[in-house]
Amino acid sequence: MLCEEVKMSVSSTQDNRTELILRILFIWRLLFALMAVGGVIAIWAGGFGPGALWQKMLITTLLSMASIFSAIGAVQIRRRAHAGRMISLALDYLAFFVSAVLVLDRGGAFIGIDSLGENFGRGIPDLGIVLAGYFLSILDDYLPLPKQTAESSLKRAGRWVALAGFILFLWHVNAVNGILNFFGRLFENGILAALGVVMFSAAIWGMWRQPTAQALHAKTGHEQILNGWLFLSPNLLGFLVFFAGPLVLSFYFSFTDSDAFNTPKWIGFENYAKLLNIRFATLSSPDQLAREVVDIKVYDEVGRFTIGDTGILFAAADKFFWLALRNTLTFVLFAVPLSVIPALILSNILNSKLPGMKFFRAVYFMPSIAAVVGIALVWQWLYNATIGYINYFITVGIEFWNNLFNAGVVDPKIQWVSNEQTALFAVIIIAAWQTMGFNTVLFLAGLQNIPGELYEAATVDGAGAWDKFWGITLPMLAPTTFYVVSTTTIQAMQVFEQVFILMNPPEGPNNSTLTLVLYLYRNGFQNFKQGYASAIAWILFIVIFGLTLIQFQRQRRSSVYES
Amino acid sequence: MKNSLLMKAFSLLVIASFALAACGGAPATQAPATEAPAVSGDDTQAEVSLRWRTRPDNQEEINVYSQISQELDVELEGITLTYEPGGTEGSNYQDQLRAEVAAGTAPDVFWIPGTDIADFATRGLILNLADIAADDADFNVADFYEGPMFHMTYNPETKTSGAGSGALWGLPRDVSTFALYLNLDLIAEAGAPDPRELAANGEWDWDAFLDVAQKTRALGSDIYGYGASAWWGPYGVWLNAAGGGFFNADRTACALDTAESLAGLTFQRSLYQEYDVATPYGEDPEPPFRAGKVAMFQNGRWATPGIRTVEFEWDVVELPNGPQGTPGNWLFWGAYVVNAKTEHPEEAWALVRALTTAETQGKISALGANIPSRVSQEALDAFLTFTPPANNQAFLNGIAPEAKPTAEGPLWAGSWPEFDKIMGPAIQGVLTGATTVEQFGATICDEANKAFP
Repeated sequence: MLCEEVKMSVSSTQDNRTELILRILFIWRLLFALMAVGGVIAIWAGGFGPGALWQKMLITTLLSMASIFSAIGAVQIRRRAHAGRMISLALDYLAFFVSAVLVLDRGGAFIGIDSLGENFGRGIPDLGIVLAGYFLSILDDYLPLPKQTAESSLKRAGRWVALAGFILFLWHVNAVNGILNFFGRLFENGILAALGVVMFSAAIWGMWRQPTAQALHAKTGHEQILNGWLFLSPNLLGFLVFFAGPLVLSFYFSFTDSDAFNTPKWIGFENYAKLLNIRFATLSSPDQLAREVVDIKVYDEVGRFTIGDTGILFAAADKFFWLALRNTLTFVLFAVPLSVIPALILSNILNSKLPGMKFFRAVYFMPSIAAVVGIALVWQWLYNATIGYINYFITVGIEFWNNLFNAGVVDPKIQWVSNEQTALFAVIIIAAWQTMGFNTVLFLAGLQNIPGELYEAATVDGAGAWDKFWGITLPMLAPTTFYVVSTTTIQAMQVFEQVFILMNPPEGPNNSTLTLVLYLYRNGFQNFKQGYASAIAWILFIVIFGLTLIQFQRQRRSSVYES
Repeated sequence: MKNSLLMKAFSLLVIASFALAACGGAPATQAPATEAPAVSGDDTQAEVSLRWRTRPDNQEEINVYSQISQELDVELEGITLTYEPGGTEGSNYQDQLRAEVAAGTAPDVFWIPGTDIADFATRGLILNLADIAADDADFNVADFYEGPMFHMTYNPETKTSGAGSGALWGLPRDVSTFALYLNLDLIAEAGAPDPRELAANGEWDWDAFLDVAQKTRALGSDIYGYGASAWWGPYGVWLNAAGGGFFNADRTACALDTAESLAGLTFQRSLYQEYDVATPYGEDPEPPFRAGKVAMFQNGRWATPGIRTVEFEWDVVELPNGPQGTPGNWLFWGAYVVNAKTEHPEEAWALVRALTTAETQGKISALGANIPSRVSQEALDAFLTFTPPANNQAFLNGIAPEAKPTAEGPLWAGSWPEFDKIMGPAIQGVLTGATTVEQFGATICDEANKAFP
């Protein structure tokens, strides 16, 4: 009886506490909504915040949404509806995340990467002591000693060693100085952010606790949804902050004259108009000057097509963009087949049961995991026209041939990277060589999924090796082939590193290796034209998207495997 | 449960230690721990922290710059210095710097090439130091080479230059110029005259140069008489020596299509196409030179440390005189400038001054890659002792006023990157034989003048 009374009393106290927390959370939601509105007013009144219009608009939108949702959340909490809990947790979690980032920023954690590298490096040996302590503490599990004695002494010793190691680690990573610096900076200009962390944490705790959930009629499904979002949130936030956000921002920048330093000015479609401004003009003779047929103050000659004694001139306001587009498409046209077809052949060979195949699989995969910079530098030496190994072997081969057959074959002394006819081809060879190994592994995986019975049945029907390859392997590999071709095409459209490192200058002789991403990079990061570079990026996206769409449609039409 | 709690606590501590290590400040090696706080009169000044950066060419230079930074840290009262070598293999110095300037995290003082000065200045990214320098009684514009200082004191508003122009964008770190690195073994084997002797006798001109190049080229199909890299510096000297150049006199328009410029380009093209004495244009000529297959390799002083490791007999000679009687050489330079966002402009100026003293420049020059930017006989005498090469005088001849070197310079009236983007590939087309000099001359300025809005 007494026990029940005590239980009831405890339950009643908990109910009262939950009721109080809910009231506080209701007020908190209203306060949150008002603060968000206040933030918007302050931004436009010039009280604080960014100066750029796009930044003001972005923050206004976010704060307005936060304010509206917070008000809705307050109403739902008042009604004891679970939606109020969901909204509250989502808003407070996001606000907590922003506050935590601000705290780290104000504390100087993000600009201390160099210090982190050097300080943390000095503490790494101490982490070895921590690890030794851990091993010491678990040693008793493996020792044939009287369990009770071993456990008490070794575990304790291990913990002390680990603790000593950790203290040494903190000492060596300059943690004391770090704490003082961090809190010193935070105290100077990060008090609000720190307060935010505390308040939003408290709000999350208040809403997350079980009695509150019960008071708001939470069901198992609700908990599962919340847990699901919670686990997804690190990735989702990373996607929003580092991918979706910049994507949207670059789209906005493509309509501005942003130079990365000053407030960008809205210029509408001007960037796109310049990029896509082209002219075709008829030439009265093949060598007629461009200035005689187009306004040379606006247009530059991109190329000319000769037809008998006349011709057509292709001019553009930004000829480099069109040259880059031409080079990129040429690169795709050659690099994709050269990295897919040999990979297909190679995977069929490596799929056989011959000895040493695992070794060769590893060998062919190696270029895919090697650093592009290193690869490009090695190829730079190989391609050197005067002392490179490729030309050396060509010379030796030709001399051997001439001596053997008394032939008069002339050594071509190919200028791989310095001749505009061969420069892009030199890059294609590297890219194909590098991508082929990865594609081979993908094809191998596809091949191993083809049921062996199909080949057995074909053998019984009298099919030869070629018939099996053509009639079974290729159709059954269609999904893999589609994936390989699509990803290789997308990758090829974005070619940059090989060109940037291999060629000097990266544009190559007569702009023959100028690619879209290289041109984008030049504009955005070397010529301070971020708005223009963003427009190039979006056109590149449209081209890639278009090509991928075509591939999808072709795949649907010719999907033997799926039908 | 207990273990789980322990693991959580441990994980949190490790994460926290990452953040704290990041906030722990620069390692103690950057600043001597024994240094006492600077005292001025009765007031104790707060220590000012400055970050500075310059592009090193190799680890030896990084070491010297780090050493200099530590010495200046002691020397400059009230200033704590952190030196940051900029640039990595994949991310070059200028790109990285620009990204940091855009992000607002660039150092207080940094080095940029002379051609970038206008771009940085007109965008308001670097400080005009004229007012601060005016209060510095020890500073004199004439202490530095005239060419670089013409550009460093150029005021785009008044279009004037010099000590009273009201503009000072920084101070030159060093200067450099081209010379021909000679493979003396190849030249002797070919029986060609020694270019150093020809230069000493005043006979070192284009004809003599071509003669040596042809004789050495005749040694074998894989031996070349001449090699130069594919950028504006090497081809520019032939245009300059013929009396031409990239720009008109006031640097407001393209001058690549003048008769003089085309004459220079014609001669250079003949080296690649008609006489076939040069390594293929666009191929890096340094590896074949180091392999002993190029007789004359045109490069700046910065190539000296690398060339010192070759195993054949080598030396340097100044560039040959062109039709105008001068070699048309460049006076290359780069400058220390002050970030417009620095919180300590006065201290930054003090650092720029300290980095450009004769003493500091002497320490850098001793490595062999640079020539001091101060006009000081003491500095030049010291430079001559930094051998090999034995004929260091060739570099000094290149920058001597009588050689009339053209100072590398920014384009205040236009965009240098845009101009270079158009000029480079067009010249490459000529030198590789894809286009003729006439075709080049007929169209180049139509395009290149668009770099001048």
